[in-house]
Amino acid sequence: MALTYWWVLLAGAAAMAAVLVWIWRHPCRSADSTPIAHADRLTALPSYQKALAHQKRWLAVALVSVLVLAASLLMAAARPVSESTNIPEQKNRDIMLCLDVSGSMIDTDEAIVGVFAEMVTAFKGERIGLTIFDSSAVQVFPLTDDYEFVAEQLKNAKSAMSGSADSFDFFDGTYEANGSSLIGDGLLSCVNGFPGEGETQRSRSVIFATDNMLSGKPIFTLPEAAAVAAKAKVRVYALNPNDFGSQQNPMEEALELKTAATSTGGLYYALDSGEAVNSIVHKVQATEAAKLQGAPVKSLSDHPGLPLGLALLALFGLGAAVWKVRQ
Amino acid sequence: MTSLLMAVKSKMYIFAHRKARGMLIGEYASVFRGRSLDFDDLRSYVPGDDVRDIDWKATARVGSPLVKRYVATRRQQVLFVADTGRNMAATARGGETKKDLAVMIMGVIGSLALGHGDSVALVHGDARAQEALPAKGTEGHLERLLRIIDAVSLKSGSSDLVAALEYAAAHYKQRMLLVVIADELAVQERCAKVLRRLGAQHEILWVQIDDVQLAGAQALRGPGQDVAAMDTVLTLLAQDPGLVGDYEAATAARAQALADLLQSVGIVMTRIGHTEQVVGNVFALLERHRRAH
Repeated sequence: MALTYWWVLLAGAAAMAAVLVWIWRHPCRSADSTPIAHADRLTALPSYQKALAHQKRWLAVALVSVLVLAASLLMAAARPVSESTNIPEQKNRDIMLCLDVSGSMIDTDEAIVGVFAEMVTAFKGERIGLTIFDSSAVQVFPLTDDYEFVAEQLKNAKSAMSGSADSFDFFDGTYEANGSSLIGDGLLSCVNGFPGEGETQRSRSVIFATDNMLSGKPIFTLPEAAAVAAKAKVRVYALNPNDFGSQQNPMEEALELKTAATSTGGLYYALDSGEAVNSIVHKVQATEAAKLQGAPVKSLSDHPGLPLGLALLALFGLGAAVWKVRQ
Repeated sequence: MTSLLMAVKSKMYIFAHRKARGMLIGEYASVFRGRSLDFDDLRSYVPGDDVRDIDWKATARVGSPLVKRYVATRRQQVLFVADTGRNMAATARGGETKKDLAVMIMGVIGSLALGHGDSVALVHGDARAQEALPAKGTEGHLERLLRIIDAVSLKSGSSDLVAALEYAAAHYKQRMLLVVIADELAVQERCAKVLRRLGAQHEILWVQIDDVQLAGAQALRGPGQDVAAMDTVLTLLAQDPGLVGDYEAATAARAQALADLLQSVGIVMTRIGHTEQVVGNVFALLERHRRAH
C-alpha cells in the first residue's frame, strides 16, 4: 500500500493543525453574548450540570467526527494505491480437436474427449471445436465458446466412442470416401475449420489424434496438409497411441507424423496408454498458454474504500451529534 | 454638569406625575422616626407625612394642613451601599444594564434626600477593595456618586456586596438611612451576620435589582456570558422543561431565603427589574417602611 500524493496528507495535516491552533488561540466569543450576573442560579443546578455533560459529550463526538472526517478525506485525497506486477495469461486460444475415428483410435479419442470435457469447464474465452474423420471428415461442432453446448457435445462424443450409445449415428459421414484414415484430408479439414485471421491474434492449435495408418488414397498427403497448417499458423499437436517403434528403429508412419507435427511448430507425443492422455493434453495446453503470455504489466489499483467508508461513518457521527446538540 | 442626575430627574417626571412626586417627598420625609425638638419651619402637608407632625394651630390659621420640620430631620445622612463589581455591568430582567437601573434608583432616592435637605454618602466596592465617599448635600456630589456607579464595566473586579456592607458596618458610628442597592444575592452566614449588625444600628432600605431570567418563558435568548467566571452559559439548554422547573424552584428558594433574612432583621425590600418600575417601587418601599414602624 502506497500513497500516490503523500504530500497532500502532509499539507492537509499542517492545515488542520494550523486551523486547530488558530481556534485555540482565538476562542470565538460571540460579540452579542449577554453578560449575566449570578449565573450560578442556573449553572449550579444538578440538572443543568447533567445537560451540560450531555452537551459536552455530543460536542466531543462532533469534534472527533470532524477530525476523522478530515483525516479520512485527506487519506482518500492522497490516493492510496497498491502496486502489482502480473503476467497476464491470455485466453484467446482456439483449439480444434481433430480425431481419427478409425477402429484403432477409438480408445484414445475417448480419453481425449473425456479430458476436454473436464477442461472446458475451466475455460474463459477459449474456443473449441471438434472434427472427426476416417475416410472423410465431419465437423461435429465448429469453434465456439458456448461451453455448455461444448460439454454436451463432448459428452455425446464420449458415449458414442465408448460404445455405450445405441447407434453409430455419431460417426455418420466419416465413411463417404474409399479407404480409411485419410490422415492428410482429415488434418486439412481441421485446419480449414479455423476462421480467417481477424484483427485479434488468436493462437490456433490442433489436437491431432491419429496413428497415421493410412489405407487408401488421400487428396492431400500428410506433409502437404502440415504445410497448409503451418501457413495458416496452426500448430499441430499429434498424439499417436500406436507408436511401437523405438529410438533406434522408429516406425515409418510415426516418424512421418512427428515430422509433420514439428514442422507446424507443434509437438509429437507417443502414447503408452489411454491414461497418459490426460497429462499430455494438459502439457499441450500449458505449452500453448506459455506461448501466449504477454509482457509483465504493472498495475495500480486504488483502495479508496476504507478512507471513504470511514468518512461516511464520521459524517453520520457528525450528523447525529449536530442533531443532538441542537435539540 | 449634572447630566446623570438630570436624566434621572427627567425620568422621574415621566414616570410620576406632580402629585405623586409630592407624595414621594412625603413618604421620604416619614422614613426617619427620630425627631429633634429643634423646630425648623413649616411646610404644607403632603400625603404620607406623619399625622403627628401636623401643626394643628398653624393649620387652623392657614386653612390648609401644615407640618413641622425639625432640624434633626433636615440633616440626616443617606448612605448608599452599592456593588461596583462587574455583576452590575450585567443585564437586568428588563434587558437594561443593571448599573443603569442602579443609577436611576440612587438618583431618585438621592434627589428626594437632597430635596429634603439631607446629605448623601456612598460606600461601594468590589471583591478587591471598598471605598467610601463622604456625605454631602449638593447635587454635584450626588452626580459624582452616580458617575461612580455608571463607570462600572465588564472590566471591573468581581462583585462582593457583602464586603461593602462589612465596610459600612465597620466605619460608620452614627445612625443613618442605609440604602442597599443589591442584586439577586445568595444568602450566606456572612451576609446574615453583617445584616443583623447593620440592622441594629441603621434604618435599612433594600433595593434588589432583578437579574435576567436564565430559564423559562422570559429567559434570555441567545448566548450568555457569566460575568463571574467570564465563561459561556448555555442558555440554549434552559428551554428544557425539567430544567425550567428546577430553575424556578431554586430561584424561588433563593428569593425566599433572602426575604426571610431581611424580614427577621426588619429590613423592607423591593425588587426592580425595569426602569419603569423604579419610581413606583421606591414609593411602595418608603410606604412599607413607614408602616413597618
